[in-house]
Amino acid sequence: MAEMKPVKTIHRTVFLLILLLGLGFGLAVANLVRWQLVRGEELRTAAIDQSLTSTFLNAERGTIYDTTGKVVAESASVWSVVLEPNYIEDDERETIVTGLAKILDMKEEDVRAEAEVDSYFTYLKRKTESSVKDEILAFLEEEEISGGVRMVEEYKRYYPYGSTCSSVLGFVGTDNNGLYGLELYYDDELSGTQGRLVRATNAVGTDMPFQYEQLVEAQDGYDLYMTIDMTVQSIIEKHLKKGVEDNLVQNGAAAIVMDVDTGGIVAMASVGDFDPNQPFEIADENLRKQIEALPEDKEEEAWNEALLQQWRNKAINDTYYPGSVFKMVTGSAGLEEGIITPDTTFTCTGAVQVEDTWINCWDTTGHGTQTFREGLCNSCNPFFIEIGSQLGPDMFYEYFKSFGFTEHTGIDLPGEANNLYYTAEQLKPVELATESFGQNFSITPLQMVTAASTIANGGNLVQPHVVEKVVDASGNIVSTADMSYKRQVISEETARTMIDILQENATTGTAKNGYVAGYRVCGKTGTSEKVAKWLEDKTKPMTYIASYCGFAPADDPKYALIVMLDEPTGASYYGGAVAGPVFQAMMSEILPYLGVTAEYTEEEAAKLNTTAPSVENLTVEEARDAIENAGLTCKVIGGEEEGTTVIRQIPAAGAEVPRDGMVVLYTSSESLEETVEVPDFTNYSLQDVLAIASARDLQITVEGAGLQSSNVTAYSQDITAGSKVAPGTVITVNFIEKDQVN
Amino acid sequence: MATSLRRQPGVSPSAEGKHHVKKVRKKFSLFSIRAGVDMPFLILVLTLLAIGLIMLFSASFAYSLQNFGNSYYFIRSQAIFAVLGTVIMLVISYFDYHHLHKFAYPIMIVVLLMLAAVKLFADTPIAPIRGGANRWLNLGFIEFQPSEIAKFSIILIFAHLMSINYRRMDTFRYGVAPYAIILGLFAGLVIIEKHVSGTLIISAVAMMMMFVGGTKLRYFAILGGVGGAAVAYLVFFSSKFSYALLRIQGWINPFNPPEDVDTWQTVQSLYAIGSGQLFGVGLGQSRQKYLWLPEPQNDFIFAIVCEELGFIGALVIILLFSALIWRGVVIALAAKDRFGMFLGIGIAMQAGLQVVLNIMVVTNTIPNTGISLPFFSSGGTSLVILLAEMGVLLSISRTSHIEKT
Repeated sequence: MAEMKPVKTIHRTVFLLILLLGLGFGLAVANLVRWQLVRGEELRTAAIDQSLTSTFLNAERGTIYDTTGKVVAESASVWSVVLEPNYIEDDERETIVTGLAKILDMKEEDVRAEAEVDSYFTYLKRKTESSVKDEILAFLEEEEISGGVRMVEEYKRYYPYGSTCSSVLGFVGTDNNGLYGLELYYDDELSGTQGRLVRATNAVGTDMPFQYEQLVEAQDGYDLYMTIDMTVQSIIEKHLKKGVEDNLVQNGAAAIVMDVDTGGIVAMASVGDFDPNQPFEIADENLRKQIEALPEDKEEEAWNEALLQQWRNKAINDTYYPGSVFKMVTGSAGLEEGIITPDTTFTCTGAVQVEDTWINCWDTTGHGTQTFREGLCNSCNPFFIEIGSQLGPDMFYEYFKSFGFTEHTGIDLPGEANNLYYTAEQLKPVELATESFGQNFSITPLQMVTAASTIANGGNLVQPHVVEKVVDASGNIVSTADMSYKRQVISEETARTMIDILQENATTGTAKNGYVAGYRVCGKTGTSEKVAKWLEDKTKPMTYIASYCGFAPADDPKYALIVMLDEPTGASYYGGAVAGPVFQAMMSEILPYLGVTAEYTEEEAAKLNTTAPSVENLTVEEARDAIENAGLTCKVIGGEEEGTTVIRQIPAAGAEVPRDGMVVLYTSSESLEETVEVPDFTNYSLQDVLAIASARDLQITVEGAGLQSSNVTAYSQDITAGSKVAPGTVITVNFIEKDQVN
Repeated sequence: MATSLRRQPGVSPSAEGKHHVKKVRKKFSLFSIRAGVDMPFLILVLTLLAIGLIMLFSASFAYSLQNFGNSYYFIRSQAIFAVLGTVIMLVISYFDYHHLHKFAYPIMIVVLLMLAAVKLFADTPIAPIRGGANRWLNLGFIEFQPSEIAKFSIILIFAHLMSINYRRMDTFRYGVAPYAIILGLFAGLVIIEKHVSGTLIISAVAMMMMFVGGTKLRYFAILGGVGGAAVAYLVFFSSKFSYALLRIQGWINPFNPPEDVDTWQTVQSLYAIGSGQLFGVGLGQSRQKYLWLPEPQNDFIFAIVCEELGFIGALVIILLFSALIWRGVVIALAAKDRFGMFLGIGIAMQAGLQVVLNIMVVTNTIPNTGISLPFFSSGGTSLVILLAEMGVLLSISRTSHIEKT
């Protein structure tokens, strides 16, 4: 009752009640408003985010094809073994360790160490074959392992051609990311987009009973179609390597074949290269052994240095003085500006004074009075100094720039080198004079061959490129190379004149070691002094770069080729003698392959081979008549009694025989056993080679400069010295003008 | 019991009264027998108990499945204790609370001995350490926290003393000293268990009762000063209590806590609350209970309530609790004597305090202290004790001067 309960007690109670419920719940509700209504969306998002687990789905890296559709680089599925140590049940850990160690051929303690780290994801072994995956899955099922081991699909890169084209292709790292070359330049296009599988999971990572799963499919990478033809590439690499070996080249070599109209690179080779399947191995065995012999502290550095060196694409990563090859540019500028005509004359005395400096011609006795046409074929330095000086620094620089020597070519490969040159203001008379014949500025081989292509295609600067088109997984073209001309540099008429002079140069001039019968080759040699290197250490002798740049066929140039050999230390270091034969060997093989038809001059046709008539199973008499009718002679081995039949002929029916050659007829089975040893013709003169061959009943097909000149020596032969062949066999011998200089 | 019943107006021996009783009996055959208990209060208790069980089942099933391989692990034992507790509550409601006068001292002594035993037999089968805390007493057939009983014990002894000395509550000797000594004993024994939240509730309830009982306000200032100084000393100078300080830092900045402070539970609680927004994600649809929120069946069950039932649902539950506490206080204030009044107020205030503190912790209004939510949190013995206390309030309601339905 009220009188028993003082009002004070009620007041105090109600006060407490209001304090408790009002204040307590009031604050709590205020916070509920804050968390649920004001920040609800943010917190809900955070809660959902933490519960969503995404698994990455790897995209397949695109394939690289050559221009004929051959697969050059492709990805194949492999499986990586992933441990989730935090999900491994303790009582299963040891079973897993022993089992996986056995299957993966790993040490148990290594596996155990991985299985015990505090982690939700760790790679135990990357990129195993699918047979290993099957074995592991079977093991997990058999042992009823509840979790902690997963197989993740990845892709491994395969390069079926091995080291061929490696300096262009580059290679990928462990995560299939492009690290060098095309793989790096087109990494975005090739790699595609990773997919994601998003699932709702509880705090320990197992699925929640929600129907929440979202799959974003991986988007496979695009395929690349290169302009490179792997057949041409192989040919180029083969001859470039031979050139390096024959001439004891110390510092590597490069060669580029370019489609002169489109700028498409048909082949681009660099010595020494590597195997992109194992990019971190040193491909050069001798070098590897040398490095492995080094003390440990120096080994790693040397190893890394060697790796960087073998990965280089010398055709675009290195610069050099182009030397006399550049004269085709100075000459073009002179012709275009009307300073000279092919018949303008100049008298070379062997040296010329520019301000206080005397500059020698390579032939210090002097070329005497000569036309421009002759001057280029003589590669006369003073003539080009004169042209340069008449052009003046501004005009000279204008052409220098216009031919693309002041900017990167913009080829779709990484690491194009910055070249060095003088600007118009910096071109003082001496600098201008030296630049006029290709010294004192550095460019990449690619820039030089692009400039040569400009002359070859009628005066237009092209955009060099390696990739013709990028194609998506369903075959749609994503992008194509820009094949439009960048600009017209010289007129078609000037180009035509230069082409004509360069063809003459490659036929009878200083560049005749590049001559290929029937293919109207144009070319220019170059020998550059490595002045910068010599200045660093003058106690060492001067070193050189031998190069040869040209194109064919002259009447409608299709392909340009540059060959550059860095520091030849063999018998000669001159471009004509060192690079010319390499150029010739490459051109004579690739031009027929690329569909350029041979057109022989009368003079050439006279030296062409004929074909042997079919005389097997005829009597010796009948055979002799047939052979003599074909303008050939015949020799019989094994006796020639009346009515004996020919059981074999060498060369075979339809095979090539030198025009004045012979066919050897075999009439007895014993005669078939007869063989002769092929001699080493290298360095013998043409006359000697023919005499040696004739003495052994061997026949010679003459190639190279031997067709145009008699002052030649044998450079290579298609059948190795020491092989045993049947009498009558035809051997193709390539001749060069050994004393060819400049 | 018989004497108290006879005094009730609703059961006066008049003929009309008998007739009335019969009518009422027919209508409420079980609960309103002899027209006794306060129906609104009983309904509120049963409603909250039912909602609490449903929410416990929802909140605990993922946790149970993960840790015990059985989704029904918590709900099964909780349901058994709920039934047991309800029976005990109803039985106690028939029991004349005046008999509790006789039990006030014995219960206090037993509880104090049990609290001492927890410390004395620490880390033995009698007083096992659970989760790093030394609070449990195991009597073989039952394991419980003596501090839970201590809350009721201190309410009972205070109500007993106040009802005797109500005229002298304004003196120090009768209005302060005995309570301070008793509170000191209880609080001291609970605090050495490192049971901060238990100490907090016991002290708060004790002081609330003294306040209601008539202790002069100036003594509260002194008590508050002493208590504050003790807390400050413990927080700032005792390394043992450094964890409390860290918790406070984490409380201010849960999403970006200082190093070494784990605010995972608070953050997950806020994620759960925030996910609920206005209408909730739906009963049983909580995402946070999937092991994100640690022990969702316990102190943080209200976060799951907020997530599943939203702001609206949480507000309804808060209102139900408010109504329960309000009704409890109303019953107490209308009790026919001072003992009933003080006992009722103590019980209602203790339950109210626990609800308020729990919800404030869950919403990060105050630092995380580890207080369970009555009727909701899992824990058999505390649920039985809570329902027994509700039984005492129901018993008081039988004779209180409030309108019965």
